[in-house]
Amino acid sequence: MNLAANANAALYAAMIVYTLAMLAFTWHLAARAPKVADSKVAEVPATERESVLVGAGAPTTSERRPATPYAAGPGFEESLKSRQRGSIALMLTYLASALLVSSVLMRGLAVGRPPWGNMFEFATAAAAAVGAAYSVLAKRNNWQWLGVFIVTPILLVLGLALTVLYTEAGELMPALKSYWLGIHVTVAFLAVAFFTLGCAVGLLYLVRLRREEKPPAKPNFIESLPSAQSLERTAYSLNMVAFILWTFTLIAGAIWAKQAWGSYWQWDPKEVWTFVIWTVYAAYMHSRATAGVDHRKSMYIALVGYVSVIVNFTLVNLVSTFVGMHNYSGMG
Amino acid sequence: MSTDTDPTTAQDPAAAQDSQRIRTGMRPDRQEPTLPTLGAVGMLRWGWRQLTSMRTALFLLLLLSIAAVPGSIFPQRNIDAGRVADYIAQHQTSAPWLDRLGFFDVYASPWFSAIYLLLFVSLVGCIAPRTKVHLSALRSTPPRAPARLQRLDEHAELTTTLTPDEALEAARKVLKGKRFRVHSHDGTSVSAESGYLRETGNLLFHLALTGIIIGMAVGHLLGWRGDIILAEGDKFASSAGTYNTISPGPWVDSETLPPFVLSLDKLHVEFNDTPGRSFGTPRLFDAQTTLQSSPGAPKSSENVSVNHPISVDGADIFLLGNGYTPVITVRDAKGQVLYREATPFLPQDPNYRSVGVIKVPSASPKQLGFTGFFLPTAEPSFTNGPMSLFPDANNPEIAMSLWEGNLFPGGAPQSVYTLNTEEMKQVLQPNGSPALFRLKPGETKQLPGGRGSITFDSVKRFAGLSVRTDPGAPISLVSATLATLGLILGLTIKRRRVFVRVRPAPAGAGGDRPEGTLDSPPGADGRPATVVTIGGLSKDSDPGLAAIVSAITTGVHDRLAERTDRS
Repeated sequence: MNLAANANAALYAAMIVYTLAMLAFTWHLAARAPKVADSKVAEVPATERESVLVGAGAPTTSERRPATPYAAGPGFEESLKSRQRGSIALMLTYLASALLVSSVLMRGLAVGRPPWGNMFEFATAAAAAVGAAYSVLAKRNNWQWLGVFIVTPILLVLGLALTVLYTEAGELMPALKSYWLGIHVTVAFLAVAFFTLGCAVGLLYLVRLRREEKPPAKPNFIESLPSAQSLERTAYSLNMVAFILWTFTLIAGAIWAKQAWGSYWQWDPKEVWTFVIWTVYAAYMHSRATAGVDHRKSMYIALVGYVSVIVNFTLVNLVSTFVGMHNYSGMG
Repeated sequence: MSTDTDPTTAQDPAAAQDSQRIRTGMRPDRQEPTLPTLGAVGMLRWGWRQLTSMRTALFLLLLLSIAAVPGSIFPQRNIDAGRVADYIAQHQTSAPWLDRLGFFDVYASPWFSAIYLLLFVSLVGCIAPRTKVHLSALRSTPPRAPARLQRLDEHAELTTTLTPDEALEAARKVLKGKRFRVHSHDGTSVSAESGYLRETGNLLFHLALTGIIIGMAVGHLLGWRGDIILAEGDKFASSAGTYNTISPGPWVDSETLPPFVLSLDKLHVEFNDTPGRSFGTPRLFDAQTTLQSSPGAPKSSENVSVNHPISVDGADIFLLGNGYTPVITVRDAKGQVLYREATPFLPQDPNYRSVGVIKVPSASPKQLGFTGFFLPTAEPSFTNGPMSLFPDANNPEIAMSLWEGNLFPGGAPQSVYTLNTEEMKQVLQPNGSPALFRLKPGETKQLPGGRGSITFDSVKRFAGLSVRTDPGAPISLVSATLATLGLILGLTIKRRRVFVRVRPAPAGAGGDRPEGTLDSPPGADGRPATVVTIGGLSKDSDPGLAAIVSAITTGVHDRLAERTDRS
């Protein structure tokens, strides 16, 4: 067995464990969903209920159903069952992320360089970064509810990487042989990881907000999440970290471009999209700081930013329309 | 904007009358309320306020990101003029319009420039007044404590047996330890503020962004780049006339280019030859060169490779391309050499199928031109046309067709890599099919009709070198670093205000006491008691604020414990 084969074995193992984690997270969410029978309106502070009812706009009709009484996080009592399942899912995620990270490291050792020289390696390394970032942050923030929305995309990316993008571990193209590969690309992965977390929380925020404004007839796990306001703040913090990292990515990339291509900025498609992502997220930060702009609208901007991240990662690397100097997909 | 008075308020009798008329269906004398005329200055001021508002900046940012996208979809002249030409040839109807609208030069187009210039004007217009405000805020003291601290986001109240002064002193100590700016407007309260660096960071970030733009402008005006194609064994002496292409900035004096001399001794190139997906991908480019900083200066051996440029006299030399230069000889019917040169052929695909042109103006009676391909590893059958199977020169071959006529119609300057066939005719074989010469190194073929012969002598590699200076780059780099620093400060630091107020605890038989009296009514345990109220507020959501408020309560308790220990 050589290292590259071990790396692949670890990758498969990680995928299996992630699948288990995904199932466990779903199982956990099922336990979180407040049961209609349990949802005694009386448990909710009067003021809160009042505001919810006002939000519903039709207090008379909502009397017969529980009007989102499980409001915000602090009021929500997580059941023992749900906590246990959450812990199991988290443990599985830790294991899977550790396997994935070690797979990336082994591949790096096998080829004697940072293991991100082609599209397959980009995808696995980015997935590993997302998994690691989530694993580090989940426990202390009680993010068990987020798990399924993180693990599922990771699995999808890994599956695609293996089936469509797979490239044998090989040597680097000369343009990538620079210590900047370690710096620029690592930070880019971290940024993508935080953007992904921010996007997942942002989407949940939008759903949560919608259901807070129009309380649904039947509560589900969404009602057990922290309040929309708090989700929005979390998404903002995550996007903020990602934005700072992305700024650094942009600058490190420019420094490297100067070394490799003689000019720090020449509007190559990858540079264009890095710039577009930066600008869109800058607009998000800006709109959130602007008084009078709805946070929901700001979040839409952030989601557009995440779509750009995906475009940058997929279309720009793979579609020949975007031919530029960043042609390292290994898919030629 | 809000200072504009509205003449249609109910107090205005004329307006009330108007609305009355409208309601009764009568034609009003004035159909529209007159707004106060702003005048030219007023309009300008209004426009300026609009431009420098946050919403406009937000809109421009989004617009900028959208405007940048076409540049990644359509081929761009600044990256690859050849692909632009291909695109225009393939899209006869849409391409001229796209071209007119600047879609092949997006980043130099008027609309793209307009957006980012407006954005930067907006930015400066926003930053300048904010800097002024911030500078005065930096020198000011925290504001007076508001009347009811319980109304602030975070608040706490505790009763202690410390004296009011001691309690305030304890709070002051905690706040100073947390780098708050602390000030007492009166004897019973403390106001504290921190996080001035947030706005400093914000301003620094935005100012630094303008610094990046300035750096880019300096680079554009004072920088230059020149490209050379240098075959192995050839020597290049830098001067304005010797570059294959040179693009100096508008303020560059092309007489002052560094006069270095560079010769390419050997170009090492390796390609991946293990079968698989990355078969044929490059592994190594390394140019072994000899450099003199000026003619006659001492020689030094330098290696230029991808990611490792060399510097001479403030100019950097980059290895950006490579390819093959077949050495080709053309003789006339008598065997006289008309042309013998290492001719660069430009690679077209990852396997280095390269195109090139040989122009033989000295041929007679008509000038001759060859155009065709160099194939480093030729696919022998040519069933799908000339193809190369591998980028390394494993089975080199040239395949050229022959044209005769006038090489330089109108005497206009033309590229050395293309043959203008406007006034030329393709030479045919006796059987009527176009003449095609396929040659391996060392081979010679006779040209039909006694026009002479063509020999493929050997093949050498060439290095595509680019010489560049960008005096603006350091400005941009420093600015970008400062921008990141500013961004981190501006986003992570919280602007906080914390107020602490003390009052004597209301005792059972309280009543009015003069302020500052230490021996005030006794507390529950018989000692004088003080009520300490703490309130904090932050501009944005701020989980850290509660910790600070509780740190102050702890500080007050600790102080009490300290005193108890001592006594």
